Amino acid sequence: MSLSPPEYPSVRPAAGEAKVAGPPEIVLRSSEFRRGREAGWRELEGMIERVEKRGVKVLSADELERLPVLYRSAVSSLSVARSIAIDRNLLLYLENLSLRAFLAVYGPRINLSEGLGEFLRSGFPAAVRQARWHFLVALITLLVGVIAGFMLTVADESWFSAFVPAGLAGGRGPTSTRADLLDKEIFRPWPGWAESFGLLSNFLFAHNTLVGILTFGLGLAAGVPTLLLLVYQGLMLGAFLALHYDRGLAIDFLGWVSIHGVSELTAIILCGAGGLVIADKLLFAGRLSRLDSLAIHGRFAAQIAIGAMMLFFVAAILEGGFRQLVQSTLLRFVIGGATAAFWLGYFLRRPREAQR
Amino acid sequence: MTSAQDRLTQLFEGLGHNRREILTPEGVKLLVEPANYGERLTAFVIDLVLWLGASLVILLSGSLLINLIHNLLKLPNFDIVLVVSVLLFITFLVRIFYFLYFELSWQGATPGKRLVGLRVIDRRGGPLLPSAVVARNLTREVEIFLPLGILWSVGGHGQAALEQLSIAGWLLIFAALPLINKDHMRGGDLIAGTMVIALPRRVLLGDLVEKSARYAFTDSQLGAYGAFELQVLEELLRRPDLTQSPRLLREVCDKICRKIEWAPSPPQSDTVVFLKDFYTAERAYLERAQLFGRPRLDKHHHGQRPTAAERP
Repeated sequence: MSLSPPEYPSVRPAAGEAKVAGPPEIVLRSSEFRRGREAGWRELEGMIERVEKRGVKVLSADELERLPVLYRSAVSSLSVARSIAIDRNLLLYLENLSLRAFLAVYGPRINLSEGLGEFLRSGFPAAVRQARWHFLVALITLLVGVIAGFMLTVADESWFSAFVPAGLAGGRGPTSTRADLLDKEIFRPWPGWAESFGLLSNFLFAHNTLVGILTFGLGLAAGVPTLLLLVYQGLMLGAFLALHYDRGLAIDFLGWVSIHGVSELTAIILCGAGGLVIADKLLFAGRLSRLDSLAIHGRFAAQIAIGAMMLFFVAAILEGGFRQLVQSTLLRFVIGGATAAFWLGYFLRRPREAQR
Repeated sequence: MTSAQDRLTQLFEGLGHNRREILTPEGVKLLVEPANYGERLTAFVIDLVLWLGASLVILLSGSLLINLIHNLLKLPNFDIVLVVSVLLFITFLVRIFYFLYFELSWQGATPGKRLVGLRVIDRRGGPLLPSAVVARNLTREVEIFLPLGILWSVGGHGQAALEQLSIAGWLLIFAALPLINKDHMRGGDLIAGTMVIALPRRVLLGDLVEKSARYAFTDSQLGAYGAFELQVLEELLRRPDLTQSPRLLREVCDKICRKIEWAPSPPQSDTVVFLKDFYTAERAYLERAQLFGRPRLDKHHHGQRPTAAERP
């Protein structure tokens, strides 16, 4: 036992208390131990109480220096008390004090804006880079869906209604003519600020995030539903592409989609990658227990999914607000390409210290 | 010793929490009590009410301001749908920042959690990282608020029952998650590697040990009891004065006298003095025995040497 404060004080500090003369005094090791250290505990308790109320900032520089010292001595008091004391109140108090001091010493040291800033600057891109293989698998799965949907629908357009639910098809289907698609969809006039930003963006965001969240959350079910959802999203896109290809609108359609699709598809793939990370770590936990493995890797999987929500938000703004504002296919490709370049740069750029 | 404490906690504080150990970076094991479902729900409801109140204040003052500008500049009327969706977005932002702000700057406690006495900690005893706080709070959006919002908007449009059913199932699964795991973790805790603990504030009361004793006891008399009984006695002596406490203490005193064959039993006026002296002597005896490696956990404990299982 390494005890720096006096465990056996030769001179009793509170001499005034022991003035009863007569029978021999009773000396308990645990009482002596407590007498020697109680002042330190009380000081620590007072500090923690203030920290709990108003954060670490209320402590002065001297107190900040003393906090870890007092914390360690409280923890060592707890170890000693566990072995020599039977006083229940003392034991419970020390357990409680040590835990509260532990939380005060090891509590979060970063405020909200720093935390969010760090997440956007380095946390999110780093998490995405860490999951690059999962990202690749999700991307390939989506592409498989696109190709399959395209091949099937090009050969037989009745597949379109099988892949795309009526709510999303919005009247488009095998019966649509080229003129229909051009006027009502690709070059539909811009509906105005309120309609596009308020209503459409909101609806699109809600719908997209639901799909994304399902893709991510179902990673808990060994990732199979994640892959299925990715294939399904791909099938829908492929079916749409085929519908336009058959009417000679493939290029215009791709431009129309690219303006928001770059962000939206990236977000879907990111959600899929996050779900796959969870599935991977649950299935192949290695030497850890599944729960521990999830706790370690879930944090960065969640970062990916949360970042993906941000991408969905951007996509919804682009789709609801700007897609119909820009009425030229070339310009749409330019915007789509610019967002692609932006995201690529964002995810691949390493923070300065990681560069050589 | 720990087991005796647990038995006592059950005895005096009702069926409480199951305990769990975390290892601090210093290598000391600390006992934590995972918060139970009711506590977490209470804290959540308090936070919900506070969030709604804050949103309402912001919305009311915001709409008053907008109205004022509107009248001053004589703008055309806004679309009500636009206003509603912007307002919903503002409440979303308020909620996100409410939880993040407080859990980061109040040491892992929102106002609701502080009122109930709960804290968020890292499950493995490490420091609570900002990324964990962000992860566990944004996962709450996914668990509860987003499905609720979608359920609401879907219900408004009168859409597929299947969709509503699956969202309801999603909500149910996540609401039930804290009930089916030992540490009462919700989805966000699982993913962020955190847990929520109950952290009641304990007060250090005075030492019950007497400076000098009027009654002396022999070792064989003191050997009749163990740590468990001693701590029960401690709890009784520390109880605040109630109308029935003199009678209760007297009963305990008589029981002890019978057990250790103390005759004649001390006079009525001396009950507390006798019990305190007995407590002091018993504690001195048991602590000495513990120090010499022969802890006596309760009165049924006879072994001279503790087996590995009994060792504290």
